[in-house]
Amino acid sequence: MEHRNEASHRAVHMPEPTAAPMVLALGISLIITGMVTHVAVSILGVVMSIGATYKWFRAVLPEEAHEMVPVHDEPIVLVSSRKSIEKLPLSPVHRKMVPVETFRFATGLKGGIAGGIAMIVPATVFSLLKFHSLWYAMNLMAAGGFVGWAHQSNAFLAEFHIEGLLAALAIHTVTSLLVGSLYGAMLPMFPRWPILTAGFLAPLMWTGLLASVLNIVSPILNERIDWWWFIPSQIAFGLVAGYVVNLQAKVRTRQFQALPFMLRAGVHGGIGDQEEGHREDGGQ
Amino acid sequence: MSTAMAISNPTEDEWKQPSRGMVGMACLIAAESAIFVIFVVAYIFYTGKSLNGPTPREVLELPIFSTICLLSSSITVHFAVHDLRASRIGRFIAWLASTVLLGSIFIASTAAEWYKLIYHDGLTISTNLFGTTFYSLVGLHASHVIAGLIMLGLALILAILGKVNAHHAERLEVLSVYWHFVDAVWVVVFTVVYVLGR
Amino acid sequence: MATHTHAAAVAGLPQTMRRPGGILDVVQDWVTTVDHKKIGLMYIGYALIFLVVAGCEALLMRIQLAVPNNQFISPQAFNRLFTMHGTTMVFFVGMPILFGFGNYLIPLMIGARDMAFPRLNAFSFWVSAFGGVLLYFSYFAGSGLYGAGTAPDVGWFAYAPLTERVFSPGHSTDYWTLSILLSGIGSIGTALNIVATTLTMRCKGMKLSRMPLLVWLYLVTSCMVFVVVSPLTAAQIMLVIDRYLGGHFFDTQAGGSAVLWMHFFWIFGHPEVYILVLPAFAFANEIIPVFSRKAIFGYPAMVAATVGIGFISMGVWAHHMFTVGMGPDANAFFTFSTMVVAVPTGIKIFNWLATIWGGNIQFATPMMFSLGFLFQFLIAGLTGVMLAASPFDWQLGNSYFVVAHFHYVLVGAILFMIFAAFYYWYPKITGRMMSETLGKWHFWLFVIGFHMTFDFMHIPGLLGMPRRIYTYEADRGWGGWNMIVSIGALVQTVATLIFVYNLVRSYKKGEVAGPDPWDAWTLEWSTSSPPPSYNYAELPTVGSRRPLWDLKHPDDPDSNFE
Repeated sequence: MEHRNEASHRAVHMPEPTAAPMVLALGISLIITGMVTHVAVSILGVVMSIGATYKWFRAVLPEEAHEMVPVHDEPIVLVSSRKSIEKLPLSPVHRKMVPVETFRFATGLKGGIAGGIAMIVPATVFSLLKFHSLWYAMNLMAAGGFVGWAHQSNAFLAEFHIEGLLAALAIHTVTSLLVGSLYGAMLPMFPRWPILTAGFLAPLMWTGLLASVLNIVSPILNERIDWWWFIPSQIAFGLVAGYVVNLQAKVRTRQFQALPFMLRAGVHGGIGDQEEGHREDGGQ
Repeated sequence: MSTAMAISNPTEDEWKQPSRGMVGMACLIAAESAIFVIFVVAYIFYTGKSLNGPTPREVLELPIFSTICLLSSSITVHFAVHDLRASRIGRFIAWLASTVLLGSIFIASTAAEWYKLIYHDGLTISTNLFGTTFYSLVGLHASHVIAGLIMLGLALILAILGKVNAHHAERLEVLSVYWHFVDAVWVVVFTVVYVLGR
Repeated sequence: MATHTHAAAVAGLPQTMRRPGGILDVVQDWVTTVDHKKIGLMYIGYALIFLVVAGCEALLMRIQLAVPNNQFISPQAFNRLFTMHGTTMVFFVGMPILFGFGNYLIPLMIGARDMAFPRLNAFSFWVSAFGGVLLYFSYFAGSGLYGAGTAPDVGWFAYAPLTERVFSPGHSTDYWTLSILLSGIGSIGTALNIVATTLTMRCKGMKLSRMPLLVWLYLVTSCMVFVVVSPLTAAQIMLVIDRYLGGHFFDTQAGGSAVLWMHFFWIFGHPEVYILVLPAFAFANEIIPVFSRKAIFGYPAMVAATVGIGFISMGVWAHHMFTVGMGPDANAFFTFSTMVVAVPTGIKIFNWLATIWGGNIQFATPMMFSLGFLFQFLIAGLTGVMLAASPFDWQLGNSYFVVAHFHYVLVGAILFMIFAAFYYWYPKITGRMMSETLGKWHFWLFVIGFHMTFDFMHIPGLLGMPRRIYTYEADRGWGGWNMIVSIGALVQTVATLIFVYNLVRSYKKGEVAGPDPWDAWTLEWSTSSPPPSYNYAELPTVGSRRPLWDLKHPDDPDSNFE
């Protein structure tokens, strides 16, 4: 039944032509056509289908039928229309390779979990200091998911609600994991000043983005949010997530394999010197 | 002849791909599952919406015996493939024959159930929504059982004629996967029609 | 630059190859063939015939609607025309032409000799083909031998309970149901074949991560076919049970639900659009890099976006049903999910732009059509996002705005890429180039006609013109717009005639193409044009996503970088 790997040099085994599929298709179509015309048509269709099924079975059982197709001698010449030009010797490899090293996917998730836990601390401090409740921040976050909570009082939000806990947990987990994996993907792109970029700039930009869309996403949160407390909690997330991510070892991407041996062995230059390159099909 | 196309990494000398038959069967099962899902959804959607009787509670009985037969036929077909692979043709035929027998018992009891429903309880496909959805869902499953029985029966006849050997084990395994699928569908149909729908 | 030679034939072999002599031999050759290339060509040819037929139906409708109070055809004929036009275009033009290209290209692109199940392949084609014949047989023998009715006239989505025996007596609706059942069997068979071929027949070194994007997209499309066409088949079986056995699935008088049919139909109907458009994306993925002279930008992102579209598109169907009154929760969900589809689609558009960016663009006809596709698909997507907002949809549901939107996708995106694919692969299929001059005429005329028709079609929709109306009063202010739309349809017809002429003429008189006229990078260009029945004398081995690049540039192969 295999007709793939027997490329003998003289002829190729190909499945034998057979009318059985066409006759079976016609038979089935006639059976159905009988439903809109006359039952005799269906009977003809049944007869054809049975005959064709039998022929089909004979074509594959016990062994698949083959025919030998002779192979023609035909030279095939493939030429590139691309003209090659001399390139300036900017770097040992002329293709751009980014990134050579990156984090594992799980690294970002770990960072997200760590940052998510760290973020709870300032949020809870805020709840305790301002509203004397452990649950206020949690309920406020969950309120975005419940339309009915839109007009509740602060006292209501300060109480414990199991659905609030679950909703807040879900929202917080998902967001933390997503932002964490973003950190894992982006930190290698900003190798300098990780504390500034990951710890401060990214949280501030995220806060700014949130501030502009929060009115649509969760009006109730927008009404009550205290941005001066919110920003520290974001920075806590950023610092911890960035720290955890940067602790993990980087892995080499497949691009690394393409580097010249001297570079890979670390004898000559640094990986960071590979910035200059050329677009790959440049010389038309 | 030349080897100019052979530009490959020397590390990849092993080149394995899944079996054609299995992939084809998996695709068929995916498509069939989608059909069954639609019929099951229709059954659940119309549960209790019939405008007139008879209702499922009045007429349906739990088909425990035939269910046991069908589910155990999954086990027998598994052993059949196992024995064929080990070239124990005699035991293979015995297991295969018992599979066909168990499947036939299931079909026969479904036929008996339908006979009772139609002639004693007066439930036909056009009586009410329950009749329409019940006969089409159970009938769709039964038609799959019949198709499977025909294939298994053919294999059995060929085996008795001595034309089946260990070489064919893979094809028979593909067929057995189909049979497992039919059984799995019955678990769903049984739960929906006879347990939840009542 | 490299050479490889197909192995030599040695005398004394059993020469079982048929030598086509008389017309009967030719017929026998095509009827009994299990060769994926011939089956692919039959798919394409049969789809082209139906394209012409359904195009004529569209033209008749446009003539009828060109001026107010027109009586060019009868209202009954009009109902049949829009039903047949929609059904034909989706099931007997769109699906077969895309399956045809898939059949032809996939084994070549993954370095295989044939599909995984060659006989099933032939069966699937013939069953779809007979489905189309059965549908059109209704025009000649529509009354059947039993009674009244001719061609189906229930609309291409055949809402219940109009399709029940009481409201649609005779066999006209049965023709619709049964022919689609047949076509569904064929689609599932071919999809199964494509998945099995892709997963089990790849040549050595062709890992999933190295497959041409076209093959990836066809893989996703085919997987979608299982989960999407099957529900339609199930719904058609239910309709047959209703109509023949007196069932009550969609019989509202016995408690059946008309809305259930809508759900079942659109569970098929919406993902179907993605089944049609993904192969169009697939063509773009092959054509745009070659004519930009750059490797595709963001291969993994393209694959991920495709799989994403596949999944998300399964959860958007009820945006066709905003006007049914599903309640705020369902409306919000389907609005949201529909808008989310725009994300992976946007990723694709940006990747294509990034591929073109900075490339050495060659404006050959396939590339022109691809660029038209990019622009038009963007607009089609934008009106799609507009309609996804349920309040907007309440205003414009079932209006000509909707008709304009989906024709922008089907014609502006899919048909444009199908034309591009013809110009791009015609040299491989026939060994001759299509005429570039005629191609440019075809492109510009079609672009003009397309924009006349479908840009201006939005306007009567906004002015309140509902779809599927037979004619309209002169004082509604729709007359001028409809006239422009109809003239545009005529321009498109002329362009299509040029295309057909180009197809026929180039077969004999076109410039000889050679194996690789576009200096492309995928495997199909490494064999002769047209390819021999066995595709490759030696099965190829690949080491990267662009095997022919490696072959032509042994000093700088891609395989070093993957």
